[in-house]
Amino acid sequence: MIEALFFYLFAAVMLGAGLMVVVSRNPVFSVLFLILAFFNAAGLFVLIGAEFIAMLLVVVYVGAVAVLFLFVVMMLDINFAEMRAGFQKYLPIGLVVGGILVFELVAAMYGDAFSGATLPAASEISNTRALGNVLYTKYMYLFQVAGLILLVAMIGAISLTMRRRSGVRRQVIAEQNMRRREDSVEIVDVPVGASARTVATVPPGKRER
Amino acid sequence: MDLIMNSYVIELAWIVGKIMLVVGPLLIAVAYLTLAERRVIGFMQLRKGPNVVGPFGMFQPFADALKLMAKETILPAGANKVVFMFAPMLTFILALVAWAVIPFGEGLVIADINVGILYLFAISSLGVYGVIMAGWASNSKYAFLGALRSAAQMVSYEVSMGLVIINVLICVGSLNLTAIVEAQRGMWFALPLLPMFIVFFISTLAETNRAPFDLPEGESELVAGYFVEYSSMSFALFFLGEYANMILMSGMTTVLFLGGWLPPFDIWPLNIVPGPLWFILKVMLLLFVFLWVRATTPRYRYDQLMRLGWKIFLPFSLIWVVLTSGFLLWTDNLPAVMAG
Amino acid sequence: MFAFQMADIMPALPEIFLAGIALVLVLVAAYGGETPRSARRVTRIAMGGILITLALVVNGDPLASRAFGGMFSADSFAIYMKVLVLLGTFAALGMSLRSDGDSDINKPEYSLLVLLALVGMMLMISADNLMALYMGVELQSLPLYVVAAMRTNSLRSSEAGLKYFLLGALSSGMLLYGASLVYGVAGTTDFAGIAEAISGRDMPTVFIIGMVFMISGLAFKVSAAPFHMWTPDVYEGSPTLVTALFAIAPKVAAISLLLRLSYGAFGSIADQWQQVLIALSVGSMVIGALGAIMQTDIKRMMAYSSIAHMGYALAGLAAGTVAGVTGVMIYMTGYVFMGAGTFAIILLMRRDGAEATRITDLQGLSRTHPLLALGLLVMMFSMAGIPPLAGFFGKWYVFLAAVEAGLVPLAVIGVVMSVIGAFYYLRIIRLMYFEDTDSPLDSKIPMANRVVLGASLAVILLFFAGIAGLLAAADSAAVALIVLG
Repeated sequence: MIEALFFYLFAAVMLGAGLMVVVSRNPVFSVLFLILAFFNAAGLFVLIGAEFIAMLLVVVYVGAVAVLFLFVVMMLDINFAEMRAGFQKYLPIGLVVGGILVFELVAAMYGDAFSGATLPAASEISNTRALGNVLYTKYMYLFQVAGLILLVAMIGAISLTMRRRSGVRRQVIAEQNMRRREDSVEIVDVPVGASARTVATVPPGKRER
Repeated sequence: MDLIMNSYVIELAWIVGKIMLVVGPLLIAVAYLTLAERRVIGFMQLRKGPNVVGPFGMFQPFADALKLMAKETILPAGANKVVFMFAPMLTFILALVAWAVIPFGEGLVIADINVGILYLFAISSLGVYGVIMAGWASNSKYAFLGALRSAAQMVSYEVSMGLVIINVLICVGSLNLTAIVEAQRGMWFALPLLPMFIVFFISTLAETNRAPFDLPEGESELVAGYFVEYSSMSFALFFLGEYANMILMSGMTTVLFLGGWLPPFDIWPLNIVPGPLWFILKVMLLLFVFLWVRATTPRYRYDQLMRLGWKIFLPFSLIWVVLTSGFLLWTDNLPAVMAG
Repeated sequence: MFAFQMADIMPALPEIFLAGIALVLVLVAAYGGETPRSARRVTRIAMGGILITLALVVNGDPLASRAFGGMFSADSFAIYMKVLVLLGTFAALGMSLRSDGDSDINKPEYSLLVLLALVGMMLMISADNLMALYMGVELQSLPLYVVAAMRTNSLRSSEAGLKYFLLGALSSGMLLYGASLVYGVAGTTDFAGIAEAISGRDMPTVFIIGMVFMISGLAFKVSAAPFHMWTPDVYEGSPTLVTALFAIAPKVAAISLLLRLSYGAFGSIADQWQQVLIALSVGSMVIGALGAIMQTDIKRMMAYSSIAHMGYALAGLAAGTVAGVTGVMIYMTGYVFMGAGTFAIILLMRRDGAEATRITDLQGLSRTHPLLALGLLVMMFSMAGIPPLAGFFGKWYVFLAAVEAGLVPLAVIGVVMSVIGAFYYLRIIRLMYFEDTDSPLDSKIPMANRVVLGASLAVILLFFAGIAGLLAAADSAAVALIVLG
């Protein structure tokens, strides 16, 4: 009974949060509601006994991805009203597409279409270990290709955004370590009474570093 | 039906009782940690620190708390009120809920779940939300800058923390915290994984925004960083959350590397000391190091902080994962569950 | 416990080798700096890697072709298509090896990303499982989104990349949604398993919907109408080198995947997907032929031309027979070489070092560059389907298969559209030979373009001589795909 109660609690909050992601006026709230939705999804995973996936969802999506979302959304200077201007216009088509998808899912669920699918038997071992057993053996191929895809994403992001800007002073540690006393210090014998400036012999270019 | 309801009620009461048993002492510990910080740093800097209220200044934290509670809660005019008030609560709550899985002794844990370490990791990775929400909702540039720094910093150091945790997991073969402690019966992981222990500890400093990584607060440039607009109880919640997080991180380090509740050696005078006492002693030792570091190191520059996280810790801990697993495989020492 | 044998991995050796080269190149590129010299070095290594991979692919044993528990299949069909993709990418990379190339594409990451996309294409061709299919599609698409936007200081390039990315992501979503429905009904992600699960069973509507979603998602990737909207903008906005790559290689992979999916997984319900493919085919032929007429930019024109070509290829696919598959393979063979040859010339359309890609820029080419004009003439004739060039044979076998399968109206529409399409190909020839110009294009022709153009011309002109051999190879590959599964 308690499980059912929690299921409905998580599911209801998740749906509500999902709705708010779409309709809230401020994108920051959208992201915050998205996080709430992720959380409740994690709760649902816990309920079906997939605690590993649940924690992964929180660590990866809530702990890292959504933070960066929030980061970007907060930094962007968006005119919210302008951004929402098209909402009314696109609402009908969005509703139609969404409606079709929902209808299909409902049809699939309540027809006996999915009867051919056999649910894998719940195994005795914990699901973390079960995942580990197949991830690096049976599904090694997919795992490696996923790694390649992530590598591509990384290379792509770097090559599209990184550019060397001139006029930026960077710290080059190797250069600092290579610096010797002789490069920057010069012992000058200052005669009594003369000011240091008049006897400075260091050429101006060398003084910069 | 009655019977079922009764058993539920009893169970619920038992759970609440256990939670109280953890949270109560925790809050007192937080209060005294603030005092300890001021006293310890005071001594290190040849000052006395607060020593007037009560014997040795023992009542100082309570005086502070009273003062904060008596003050007015100020809501900045341009602030987003809901998020502004929610942020400190979130920080505080997260600092408390993580304790659910920390084992204080054999079987002395509120929830002995399978994926305990992942739960801890997940909760600690959420801490950033309190900070970033506070910074954004304050509608103040200092607060916002602090929040952005903090978000980038915490996300960066989580990565290497995760890899360090993997090192430990490879040695244990379980995500359960009790199992992790039990696996250290022979030798604490701090010895074979010493470099990882150091990386982890430094990462916890960054994760809790403590010196020398306290740029999110950076009082010399950002006034107080993300909580500059907070006052009274909302400020107190941040404060409590930060210190509770320090204790939590120390607890996590203890469980992962210092053998949790186990005595250093399983010999007579040591092994009659109760487990929880060992646990508390180890946590206190780590907390002392936290304070010690704060008293003695200057603050990192931001680019140095990022370089340390991404270019040094991340590759280093990644290489160490390969080394650890390679070594265990080579010497045929993999945990039984993984060798299969 | 699941344990790997060497035999489980060996069929994927070419891909593993190529991915390894890519990983090495990451380091070479990272430590080589961002100079054009480093970019050329990366490109050269990549091209060498492709050649070795080609040898590995050709030497693969099509009989022991299953790897990774049946997720990966390197049968003779895959070998045939992979050779095409490898050759096409090799040509596209080769043409980027010019010392005076525009500096913004001269990044070491370019060849690296193209190489990774190539791995993706090869995985797509070999995919024999819904999950492997999706992974291959993503690995192929992601690098292409990036290279489309590679010219970071050009608004149009960024726009092209963004458009490509958004629509590509949408199509991936459709693909996934469809795949999930198919998996839900079949209970397995293996193509063979799906075929087994659906044979002799009354198919629920949900399965058909899932299948249509999957085909639509892949239609995006081959830019078949009505999922073609991104093609002209992306072709026009991307750097021309990238456009050349888009025009040559990825569509071969996408068509192969479509072939394998429809014959391998959905083979027993061919009558269901035939209607969808016929609609896609007719739409693409019509839109490609009519759309190209209005274009003034040659890259846009080539985009519509490629849409039309995909329409013809899909006509062969829609036939649902071995002859149809053979026709598609012959068609794609010609398509790769026509694309490579044409873009070898389009890449030379520069005036005073700046790109000049308007069709009218070709005016009077026969006087300023007679050989180039002759080359383009052959390419255009071939695209229009004039015998005895490569394009003719492709169309011939495709339409023949369609007629044999009883799809006479489809073949008729195809022939009519070919005639309309011939109009804009011939317009280019008219501009080159019967118009005059006072501002000729630059005359420098880099070695790589000469080689690519020469090789493509040779293949296209001598296609009739080797057609028997090609047919035999394609036929056995088609049999391997359909009959042997």
